[in-house]
Amino acid sequence: MLYALMGLGLSLITGVLNIPNFAHGALFAVGAYFLFSAIHAVGNFWLALVLAPVGVALLGLAIEYAGIRPLYAAGHDYQLLFTFGLSLILSEGIIVVWGPIGFSQLPPPLLRGGFDLGFIFYPKYRLFVMVMAGLLVLATWLFLEKTRYGAIMRAGIESKEMVSLLGIDVHRLFTAAFALGAYLAGIAGALTAPIRGLSPSMGVDMLGIAFVVVALGGLGNLLGAIAAGLIIGVAQAVVALYWTEASVAVIFAIMAAILLVRPQGLFGIR
Amino acid sequence: MSRAWLAVLAAAVLLPMAVRHALATEIWIFAIFGLGLNLLLGYTGLLSFGQSTFFGAAAYVAGYLLKHYETNVFAALGVGIVVGAVSAALVGYLCVRRSGLYFIMLTFALNQMFYFIAYQWTTVTGGEDGMPGIGRPALLGVDFRNPLAYYVFVAALFLLSLWIMQRIVESPLGKILQAIRENDVRAEAVGYDVPRFKLLAFVIGGAFSGLAGVLYSMLFGIVPLEAIGFVFSGNVLFATLIGGSGSFYGPIIGSFVFIWLSESVSVVWERWPLLLGVAFVIVVLFFRGGCVEAWARFWSWRERRRALAGIAQ
Amino acid sequence: MSDLNRRDVLKLGAVGAAGAVAGLGFPAVIRAQAKEVVMLGIWPFTGAFSDVGPILDRGMKMALEERGMKILGRPIKYITRDSATQAGASTRRVEEAVDGEGAKFVIGPWSSGVALAVSEVAKRKKVLHYFSGGTEDISGARCHRYSFQWAASPYTAAKTVVDTFMKANPRAKRWHLLVADYAFGWSVEKYIKEVGKTHGLEFVGADRHPLGEREFSNYVTKAAGNKPDVVAMINFGLDAVTAAREIFNFGLTPKLPLIMSWSSGVEELVQLAPEIRENLWVGSNFYYTTDTPVAKEFVKSYQAKFGGPPGYAPAAAYGMTRMLLHGFDRAKSVEVQDVVKGLEGIEVNDLVGRMRVDAQTHQTLRPFFFMRSKPKSAMKNPMDFADIIATGDTPLPAQYAACKDIGSF
Repeated sequence: MLYALMGLGLSLITGVLNIPNFAHGALFAVGAYFLFSAIHAVGNFWLALVLAPVGVALLGLAIEYAGIRPLYAAGHDYQLLFTFGLSLILSEGIIVVWGPIGFSQLPPPLLRGGFDLGFIFYPKYRLFVMVMAGLLVLATWLFLEKTRYGAIMRAGIESKEMVSLLGIDVHRLFTAAFALGAYLAGIAGALTAPIRGLSPSMGVDMLGIAFVVVALGGLGNLLGAIAAGLIIGVAQAVVALYWTEASVAVIFAIMAAILLVRPQGLFGIR
Repeated sequence: MSRAWLAVLAAAVLLPMAVRHALATEIWIFAIFGLGLNLLLGYTGLLSFGQSTFFGAAAYVAGYLLKHYETNVFAALGVGIVVGAVSAALVGYLCVRRSGLYFIMLTFALNQMFYFIAYQWTTVTGGEDGMPGIGRPALLGVDFRNPLAYYVFVAALFLLSLWIMQRIVESPLGKILQAIRENDVRAEAVGYDVPRFKLLAFVIGGAFSGLAGVLYSMLFGIVPLEAIGFVFSGNVLFATLIGGSGSFYGPIIGSFVFIWLSESVSVVWERWPLLLGVAFVIVVLFFRGGCVEAWARFWSWRERRRALAGIAQ
Repeated sequence: MSDLNRRDVLKLGAVGAAGAVAGLGFPAVIRAQAKEVVMLGIWPFTGAFSDVGPILDRGMKMALEERGMKILGRPIKYITRDSATQAGASTRRVEEAVDGEGAKFVIGPWSSGVALAVSEVAKRKKVLHYFSGGTEDISGARCHRYSFQWAASPYTAAKTVVDTFMKANPRAKRWHLLVADYAFGWSVEKYIKEVGKTHGLEFVGADRHPLGEREFSNYVTKAAGNKPDVVAMINFGLDAVTAAREIFNFGLTPKLPLIMSWSSGVEELVQLAPEIRENLWVGSNFYYTTDTPVAKEFVKSYQAKFGGPPGYAPAAAYGMTRMLLHGFDRAKSVEVQDVVKGLEGIEVNDLVGRMRVDAQTHQTLRPFFFMRSKPKSAMKNPMDFADIIATGDTPLPAQYAACKDIGSF
């Protein structure tokens, strides 16, 4: 489900803005570190969980406004160079601010421990993350489907010209989409922190997976990204049971195989 | 002989006096790698994020031959070029029909796949530990273990590659590729088989990457796992962009700037990737076109100032 | 004109005029070599182990400063390079430091794969190389006269871990192993199974995970399904920390004991919350309560300087540098080959106790530590993680030794 969350955010950005966002993993890491600092500042996990991703969204807002906006006409190569540079700055910045050694962040007391399902023991916090991620995906989905802004965003994926012809400020749309994508990456990072802990390299580890999810789901296809996220997660879990060494390689093998059969991605239309 | 060629020749002679031979050698190897990429990026408009696939594959195969059979240098280079071309044909075949972001992601994902093959296939590649023990067999009595001798060899191969690449770019094929970059729909309409030409560009680029890969493995005596990793693909891409992908000589300048800078800055400050990131952002926001453009702008600025000064007088 | 200088000029003369001009670029460096002993610390300041680079650097610096940056009356010039945990970059930078700065003694890096690449450079450039540990090959299959290994042999570690743990938990016979999928993980796994036989252990599962794995939930549920008495991990750094967290999250620990067989000690334990450390058993090459005079002195001054106890990384850098300096003392020379001979067969009481260097394999024969972590209530301070419960120094039995012939210079 976390993969779906990451993929959804990235798919939104790639779909609406049509840029390869290599800083998406770094935003994920920043989300986790923001959570860590927010917990220490306000002393409450729940409040921190609300604040941290908002912080990441604001960061995304600033990045889009100052950096990415001049680049829409520049071609993918420079967009790539920019977002990659940004990702270096963010992840090195994490080392400068929080230090190179990672941290543990325990779940809030309410969510410690787990349920004994007889055959398996499942941690409460993981269940919480699954529900949270599910709700977030659902909320994003409803937002995009049922609200006016969402409709504009979807229209932005389909045809930018059309949207601007309708008298809508495309730049504002882009900024909003990037901020929303950053928000989703940030909250994914924040939710992950108690499971995997924090380390400066956590973003890079996630980036490859996010890209696979987006490519599998079909560029700009939000439902596809959600489905692909679930497929990758399940596939990884199943492979780890039978052939543990291959659990990372399998992600890319699946991607290559599916793209061979369906070059436009599982649910892609373009 | 053009002025640019004279400059490159002068650089090839002067570089080993300014920096260590191994570093100078690596700069030219990276430049060969960049030339191959730039045929795709600058001339065909294909942004490949998987060039290290061909670089690494060639390095592993040729390295294996050098290590276990002590093959002749030219045989190893030849094998590397072929491996680079064949692996590029394979990847290219899967990718050329896609465009835009899809193309980037596909090359990236296939790169990752090759990386994990190399990582898991430890009996041959050594996995995480890399494949060490690659020698530099002597050629015609010249001992390439001498750093300067190897430098001269690599620099000569680089000049040869540069010459070949220039011939390719100026040939009808080069013009067709540029036409595809400008407008592939029109090129298709005129009657060119666009995917086939893109594939051809891939194969040629792969051959150059393969050559660079073999030279790299001989330079360090090892094929490290990262030689086939996506960071390496990124490095050559960024070096080319920093140099200026729009220019024929861009990758050479980029290779010099990228390797030399990352080398000297890393000694000064351990958080140097931060500066690298800042450099990327600056290039993108202000000098899109890389060093070549920055240089051109500097010149036109000076010309303008001179002209202004002339008017003032 | 020094010996070196002459050799350089001869070499340059042989390769022609261009080379001679190149040589003129470095006259200052060549002159400097005659006076100073240049030592290189190749540490990971960026990349996968960027967290350990700075503390490795501290350790080496401390050992040199103890001697007033001097050896046998000569000043020591300490330089560092960033290994970036990349074999290519490390090779290039070590070569540059050897050629350009005249470095003759190289210590580091941290990752085994990169260390093997650096070891190749040492062999080619004929400079001395000391490496901590994490591969069997430096003092095994790829041994040569110029490289030394400081950490215990994986056999020593496996024997210490299994013997001590079984003594404390005689009934924990069902073991589940979680192994990092690379050569060193396999060696430790092999030896743990070998030693396990003598205790009648049953290995109910042995899963291998790729290096850099971050999603351990599947491995953990699988381990739980095997109903083991104990889970033993053979992995390192962030992999070990992430896995230990997940094993706790899924409720295996503290009910079941968890063994970290080859851990960096403090650096890993500090990343784990106290709750996660309950019922944790840790094997390591160094722990700061080690009861030797050298260790006590080192820990004291380290704590005074940096405000916390040293872990395996700074201790290894410190220990290796000390061993190297002992080699100088014994050789009474600053020439590389003399120092190599000085180290071969040396026997000293140093950082971790009695330490010898096996002349046949260049393996440092030394104790390995096994600790039991403390519950939160028993911790006297936030850094009081564990007690050393045993040390072991059984060397690798001859039938496993892969270094048949260390060769000549």
